[in-house]
Amino acid sequence: MSNKRYAMVLDTRKCIDCKACTVACKAENHVPLGRENYRNWVMEEALRGRYPNLGQEFTPGQCMHCANTPCKRVCPTKATGVNADGIVTVENKKCIGCKYCMTACPYNARYYNEEIGAVDKCTFCEHRILTGREPACVETCPTRVRVFGDLNDPNSEVSLLLAKHPHRVMKPEMGTKPYLFYLI
Amino acid sequence: MSFATVIPKRPGEMLWFGLLCLGMMAGAVGVVQVLIHGHDHVYNVSREIPWGILISTYVFFVVSSTGLCLVSSLGDVWGFEKFAIIGRRGHLLALLTLVTGFGTMAMELNHPIRMGLYAIISPNFTSAIWWMGALYGFYMVCLIVEFTSLMRGWTRLAFWSGLAGFFAAITAHSNLGAVFGLLEARHFWYGSYMPIYFIVSALASGAALTVLIVYFNHKARGIEMPPVYQEFMYTMGKLQALFLGILLFFVVWKIIPGLYGQPPEKYETTMAWITGPLAFNFWFFELGLGILIPLIIVANRRTRTVFGVMIAGLLSTIGIFFMRYDLVIAGQMVSMRPEAVEGASHGLIHYFPSFTEIGIVIGALCLCLFLYSLAERVFDLEGGHRH
Ligand code: SF4
Ligand code: SF4
Repeated sequence: MSNKRYAMVLDTRKCIDCKACTVACKAENHVPLGRENYRNWVMEEALRGRYPNLGQEFTPGQCMHCANTPCKRVCPTKATGVNADGIVTVENKKCIGCKYCMTACPYNARYYNEEIGAVDKCTFCEHRILTGREPACVETCPTRVRVFGDLNDPNSEVSLLLAKHPHRVMKPEMGTKPYLFYLI
Repeated sequence: MSFATVIPKRPGEMLWFGLLCLGMMAGAVGVVQVLIHGHDHVYNVSREIPWGILISTYVFFVVSSTGLCLVSSLGDVWGFEKFAIIGRRGHLLALLTLVTGFGTMAMELNHPIRMGLYAIISPNFTSAIWWMGALYGFYMVCLIVEFTSLMRGWTRLAFWSGLAGFFAAITAHSNLGAVFGLLEARHFWYGSYMPIYFIVSALASGAALTVLIVYFNHKARGIEMPPVYQEFMYTMGKLQALFLGILLFFVVWKIIPGLYGQPPEKYETTMAWITGPLAFNFWFFELGLGILIPLIIVANRRTRTVFGVMIAGLLSTIGIFFMRYDLVIAGQMVSMRPEAVEGASHGLIHYFPSFTEIGIVIGALCLCLFLYSLAERVFDLEGGHRH
């Protein structure tokens, strides 16, 4: 069986900032309580226009599962790795808590999880996709902002969306080659 | 190794050791706090600023170590006879600052013991932190061998270990600069500036500490400074004028590209450093105490006295401590996701060390001074000339 290249495509125009994805993720992945502990987030972009003609967009984000991975590069003990399907992982028992990866990630996607004693971040819900389910944030999103799938399959929904629509990635100038794509 | 008999019991000595013990107790309380409550509850580091004052103090210690090693190798390795008199003391303090530095860093790591294991069985050769451990480890071995050889009078071994230590110091320390300099995400740090700057500032740090050792060593014993040491102080004063001049040059050229054209993130950081939350640290401690005042003292023939050179060294050392702090904190102050940080003004994130963090820093500084003062009593550190 050939490897997958998992990716997520987000249509931010549909996002209503309900933060259901953050809640679902916290519950699914046992993210400890606390304002600083989260694997995904929703960013409130600046207001556009002038009253009464206003507009605003909300941009959800999480670990971008970069192809050129600064967090993996700097990790002294190879606790951070990339699996065959492109998912960036952390092996808890190897993490020494140096937080180098946290300073290296341009998206602030990582936090230190005191409960598991290691740095934690989005795993694309690896445990769920292994059993054929979608990541919790994708499943829960009420307006279907998020689409998850395999870019190595040209007929997957993510491949089709990217073929059809122009899109962007976050901080392309960092050269991290992220695998979270935002439709324009 | 003979027990020194020259140290008279002075009343000031009891006070000195008493103060150091108090400081170490503050550190011990901090360490106990961490062990009981965990990092999260007693440190002020955060998701956005994961490296705090413990890391900057670690940097301060290892910069000191490198500087001491470089300056004191001038005698034993490079044959500048004048410097041979501080060979033993310089290398000893280099070793002690390195060890206390490691201790301080271990307090910031969540799993220092895990590190020992996985750094060996699962090394990542692209990680500057992995190299930092390996190179500083090697450097520490060199220092131990060098110090032992100097004490035993094994001149050949002292030379070769000193030479190895000299290069290890440069490699390890420029690599420490690279720990910051290789982070593309952090515009203020990224680039080749950091490894070079770390070496240059180590020289100023080492020179400052060297004159402090020489001065207080005589002061504590209540003995007149012999002419050879006085001569040494004058030389160090001149040398320090050069080092501080170079350091000033580096500071100026850190600032100008940070402002010119307002490069994103670099500009905000530079402004935070020189006009924002770190401005007092910068103007008063870094520039005033750390560079300008000492530079004026040591550059002026009339103030370049034994006492003047010592004061300059003391001020520089204090200033350099803040230089490390500002450098480490400033680099993380600009948020990676400015819109997302509640309470962040202009996208800047704030950090101020907690009592526990400050306690551990005081404890570490006192521990280092305590170990050194103790070593002065136990070892015969006079001499260090090549026999
Ligand atoms: S988003 Fe951050 S944590 Fe995720 S792969 Fe990229 S650099 Fe690593
Ligand atoms: S904190 Fe853990 S995962 Fe991150 S670089 Fe250090 S060891 Fe690796």
